[in-house]
Amino acid sequence: MRLLGMGKQAVAALADNKSRTFLMMLGIVIGVATLTIITSSVLGARAKVMKNVGKFGFDQIAVFAGSGKKLGVFRSLDVTTLTLEDAEAMEAEIGNIREVTPQINRRNVPVKHGNLSSYATLVCANPNWSSVWQTRAARGRFISDEDVSRLARVAVIGETMVEDLFAGRDPVGEQILINNLPFKVIGILEKRGTSPAGVDMDGRILIPLSTGQKRVFNIDHLGMIKVALKDPAKMDATVGDVAALLRERHRIQAGTEDDFTIVTPTQAMTMASKISSSFTLFLVLVSAVSLIVGAIVIANIMFIGVNERRAEIGIRRAVGAKKQDILIQFLIESLMVAVGGGIIGVVTGLLGLKGLSFFMKFPSALMWQPIVLALFCAILVGLLAGIQPARKAAGMNPVEALK
Amino acid sequence: MIEVNELSKVYVKNNEEVIVLKDICLRIDEGEFVSVMAPSGMGKSTLLNILGCLDKPTGGTYTLDGVSVEGMDDDELSRTRNKKIGFVFQSFHLLPRMKAWENVTLPLIYSDTDSNMKEKAGAALNEVGLGDRVEHLPRELSGGQQQRVAIARALINDPRIIFADEPTGNLDSASGTEVMRIFKELHRKGRTLVLVTHDMETALQSDRIIEMRDGGIVADRTVEAPTEVTK
Repeated sequence: MRLLGMGKQAVAALADNKSRTFLMMLGIVIGVATLTIITSSVLGARAKVMKNVGKFGFDQIAVFAGSGKKLGVFRSLDVTTLTLEDAEAMEAEIGNIREVTPQINRRNVPVKHGNLSSYATLVCANPNWSSVWQTRAARGRFISDEDVSRLARVAVIGETMVEDLFAGRDPVGEQILINNLPFKVIGILEKRGTSPAGVDMDGRILIPLSTGQKRVFNIDHLGMIKVALKDPAKMDATVGDVAALLRERHRIQAGTEDDFTIVTPTQAMTMASKISSSFTLFLVLVSAVSLIVGAIVIANIMFIGVNERRAEIGIRRAVGAKKQDILIQFLIESLMVAVGGGIIGVVTGLLGLKGLSFFMKFPSALMWQPIVLALFCAILVGLLAGIQPARKAAGMNPVEALK
Repeated sequence: MIEVNELSKVYVKNNEEVIVLKDICLRIDEGEFVSVMAPSGMGKSTLLNILGCLDKPTGGTYTLDGVSVEGMDDDELSRTRNKKIGFVFQSFHLLPRMKAWENVTLPLIYSDTDSNMKEKAGAALNEVGLGDRVEHLPRELSGGQQQRVAIARALINDPRIIFADEPTGNLDSASGTEVMRIFKELHRKGRTLVLVTHDMETALQSDRIIEMRDGGIVADRTVEAPTEVTK
């Protein structure tokens, strides 16, 4: 009750001098607004990256044929060293591997249906591709083991392909030409949107790995092997095991470069992280400086206020306020200024984010963490700025204050 | 009610001791209406501040309402001021941004009285004849009315004793008379009042006059027939 009473008193004191209160808030507003923008964009970017890596799979690694492979960059199929036998050996010999899905990926493969044509990303894979990549057939069915053993000319196609080749009509059961070879459409892939590397994930066409190797490309090797782990905590050890196994199978001499590249989720995350760190640093500086300036402004104006309100302090002391009551009252005032400034700052920051994302592609996310962080900083500033003026007020001799 | 023995107050200013009060011995009983008279700068305000627990003596003993005051820490002094003492100042000392009733409730905030604050304030304002000024701001009130709000504030916690430091000093004679009439009324109801003044006419309205000079009491006499306030 006493606190509530003092809270009301603080509100009245702040309302009594609105322009001063506004000035006190200004620094905090700017500081908290920039802080909100920074944290929202950094967290937004991170969330986006995590989501992308989530698609990549936290419990998965990818083994590409050839050295120095970069994520999202497609290569030609001329590196012949990675084979189906490598994939089978991995699954058989390394304990922490749950599942492997060998595949061949090829971009810009010409596809046709009637007089409509397009270019697809052709993915040749086995039925377990669906579970490892968590992409199911939205309509129709996925590739089956029988399709693989029969080298069946069947295809599961993405939404973009449905648009390009069938103008949105139901394609299941229809024939398309891939690389001038006829394939029967058996299903449609779930919609996936655009990958972090800018690849249209709905522009994919899946065919059985065996069909791709024997009938389309006429090769025996693979482009990559996706490996799902049992225990993602042992990722580093497993990466080592995979590298050792492949080096042994490929008879690579010690000191010679690998003829494959292993990509882990951490690497994928670093690569996909795009927020400019210098921009973030600049905003962090702006926010820190304005919070510090805001604190100094609050402290200064509070000092002036304490001096101007000597009589008030004296009266309060005379009618029974303890030193602590005076201390708390002034602290409540500076806290209210800071929290008020904080709330206005958060709103300004969120509006600023909306404005920024209007002018440029800006990774941001509306999340509670930045708001909590910003308000926490505001409270901290309020307490730090208010403590000295409040102590001065509380320490005033009531007799002197009343003169 | 009040018992003071060999009370003294010494300031150190520029390495020089300034004696403000020396060897004050004083006893004020419950229900008394006492005036302390002295020319300016003769220590009467300091005495009032010490008796009112706003200031601490440098020597001697002070017992208020049977409790020794010298040993009290700041919190205990604050509590004593809040519960047992009401102050009325020469310049009213109201908070300008607060309405009359809010000013009156100020002591309640620090005494953890949570219910019916406004009702209590209204009753106190009624007692000083300002029942119709509850929602007014101090600047909307005359000097005499402001001082009556201050008196209502001093009364709100039902204190054992009221200290008034030149309460009519800033008022015209009509307002001053009204304030004194209220004091006499409070006295009649049994309150203990200590009033500091340099005006003999005001002092003559009380039961007892204590005269001070150079930090000491030079006279202490009972007023045989206190002047009645004429309306």
